[in-house]
Amino acid sequence: MLLRNAFREYYFRYSKTLETPEHIDQREFGYMQFGAGMIRHLSFRNIGELLAILIKEVPSDVYCSNAYYRFPTYTMQEKQWIGADLIFDIDAKDLHLPCESTHSYFVCTNCGEVQDSKFELCPSCDTGKLTQTLLPCNKCNYALKKEVKHLVDLLMNDLGIKEKSIHIYFSGNNGYHIHVLDDEFYRLDSHARSDIVGYIMGNDIMAESIGVRKASSPSVVDFSVKFPKSGMIYGWRQRIARKLGIDRSLSISKMDKIVQQKGGYSGFKSELHKMAKEMSVRIDPLVTMDVHRVFRMAGTLNSKSGLTKVLCKEIESFDPLTDACFLMDKEVNVNVKSPIKLKLKGQSFSLKKQTTKLPAYAAIYLICKRLAQAI
Amino acid sequence: MAIINLGTGDIAKYPFLKEASDYIRETQFNLEEFDRPEMKYIIDRAAEKIETEVANGTIYEKLDKYEIEILTFLVTIIIVKSINIESILRKHSLFEAMRVEKFLTEDLRKEKNEQKKRLLLFKIFGELFKVHVDIDPTDNRLFKVRVTDYLMRASHFHEQEWKLINRLVHDGYVYLDADETVRLIRSELSTLIHDRVKLMTLSTLPRAIEVKVDELKAKLVPIYEYEHRMYKTTDYAPCIKHALELMNRGENLPHSARIMLATYMLAIGKSIDEIIILFHNAPDYNEKVTRYQVEHLAGIRGSHTKYSVPSCEKLRSENLCFATEKCEGIRNPVQFGRNYKKENYDHSR
Repeated sequence: MLLRNAFREYYFRYSKTLETPEHIDQREFGYMQFGAGMIRHLSFRNIGELLAILIKEVPSDVYCSNAYYRFPTYTMQEKQWIGADLIFDIDAKDLHLPCESTHSYFVCTNCGEVQDSKFELCPSCDTGKLTQTLLPCNKCNYALKKEVKHLVDLLMNDLGIKEKSIHIYFSGNNGYHIHVLDDEFYRLDSHARSDIVGYIMGNDIMAESIGVRKASSPSVVDFSVKFPKSGMIYGWRQRIARKLGIDRSLSISKMDKIVQQKGGYSGFKSELHKMAKEMSVRIDPLVTMDVHRVFRMAGTLNSKSGLTKVLCKEIESFDPLTDACFLMDKEVNVNVKSPIKLKLKGQSFSLKKQTTKLPAYAAIYLICKRLAQAI
Repeated sequence: MAIINLGTGDIAKYPFLKEASDYIRETQFNLEEFDRPEMKYIIDRAAEKIETEVANGTIYEKLDKYEIEILTFLVTIIIVKSINIESILRKHSLFEAMRVEKFLTEDLRKEKNEQKKRLLLFKIFGELFKVHVDIDPTDNRLFKVRVTDYLMRASHFHEQEWKLINRLVHDGYVYLDADETVRLIRSELSTLIHDRVKLMTLSTLPRAIEVKVDELKAKLVPIYEYEHRMYKTTDYAPCIKHALELMNRGENLPHSARIMLATYMLAIGKSIDEIIILFHNAPDYNEKVTRYQVEHLAGIRGSHTKYSVPSCEKLRSENLCFATEKCEGIRNPVQFGRNYKKENYDHSR
């Protein structure tokens, strides 16, 4: 009840935060109900119509398609796809950060008890499984922003996407969503997007594309070097050349030496894959490849945190735990299930495992993270 | 600045351009004129072209004056339309596309006049396929294609070298050499020819063409009535089934799919000859080349290494996987056969 009331009040008070997607009438909408399933294939002519549903139904999560359809309310086969925004999801869980273990909690699916570390079965009830919940720290946010900036750099410099077409959003939980609204890219199918994913994630780079070929009849060495006609001055080729220290002057003999040092063609190839991975951006590939996805809508609340998916006008100074926290300050009683330290809306909390009074935004954050219970 | 127009030599090489149809219209050419004795050369030439492409599986390389080429092109598509067999049409379309590809690559490589080069790029890429191709200002051997135009085409190619990461990409453009640029539109060129034939409406044929159609039918139909060559595709893994279905329709399978098909068939114990017959409907089929390649994969030729069937993971990365729920738990298409047979067996008990 606490969550529903707080979510309703948010949609009532912060209706202006809700962003009207471009061509709203061509989008498919969907929402999750508290304690129930997903409702999809909805369409709204304007944001007012949607807002009325949000206040009436109070969904836990609200989604809008990245795709544009001729008939958004029809079945998937009959919608008639027109195009889709190019979207990227950067999530802290995919970064495998060293700090993760220091702010991970494990919640039992059966009894709801919280443990500091992972066990096969819940030590409290001996039956439930433990699932991880994260309270991201500053280091997570720093690493996420670095990843976002790296992605934006590739999108602009390599793919030629204009800055004004790139919109960065805090996802409302542990990551960032990047939306590209571009007339050229919106028509790309899933195959083409999958190729973009490979490019961004550094997948399938070939030694041949940077001039190292497998020798057809190996003699002393099992490779030969011939730099590509199109050169190495841009994109991945430039990044690899720079990393190998051959970007200033392309020298066959220098490359020859490098490949030999790496143990010939195969050794160089695996080293190259490693290098590409290190220089890649860690995105969720499935999100970008999916041209029919309903994606969290900007300006709506995320039920995994009670924070809002918001546009980051200044990524550098953006602080999700302040800038995306819009729920009310009114104090409520909750039962905190584990000792926790956190900072929200600029206020620090050092909590013990006990019943306590907290501002609603903090109480809801912990309830959404399954680290507290409403009383 | 002087306006540059396409020369007659260009129209000869690219007789599908608007300029070629303008020529036919302006000269008020009538189909009945093909019954005149001096037209025999054109009709024989068209028949020779079809035989070279469809029966021999090679590109017709001869190039004549533009008047001859335009009329040969016209007669060729009339004959192919009249034969009315889809796999012959597909094979003809593919080889016509490859002929254009050859001429266009040469022109883009050798043409010194930049304006002329731009005109060709505009006429073929721009006007026909709405692809804007520019010449790299720093190196006129290279061409710039918008990343999105590149992706819409190359992401359907299966070879790893076409993946965007293996290309020079900068500021929204992919940099390609002449061969690569032209290769991008092969399938569109082939579709263009295919559609020209498909959309053509034929009234009564001139007698001289009719006779040639009958002659060619007698030669080609026994080879190409592929309905008789349809292969049972029910017991194979979905990726293999899909490849066989494409092959049965006379479509052009990528190299990687052909390797998958051949290694799979070898792995399940098919003979070399049986496998060669499978490839008979491929638009670019050439028995000698196919035999060599299958024998190579079987380890009989070349390095004497027997090639194994690509893994499901590899096939996924090459967009060749069409997994169904029956594929669950398998790592190689060969295992599908085994699971499937076992499952059928269990059910039958």
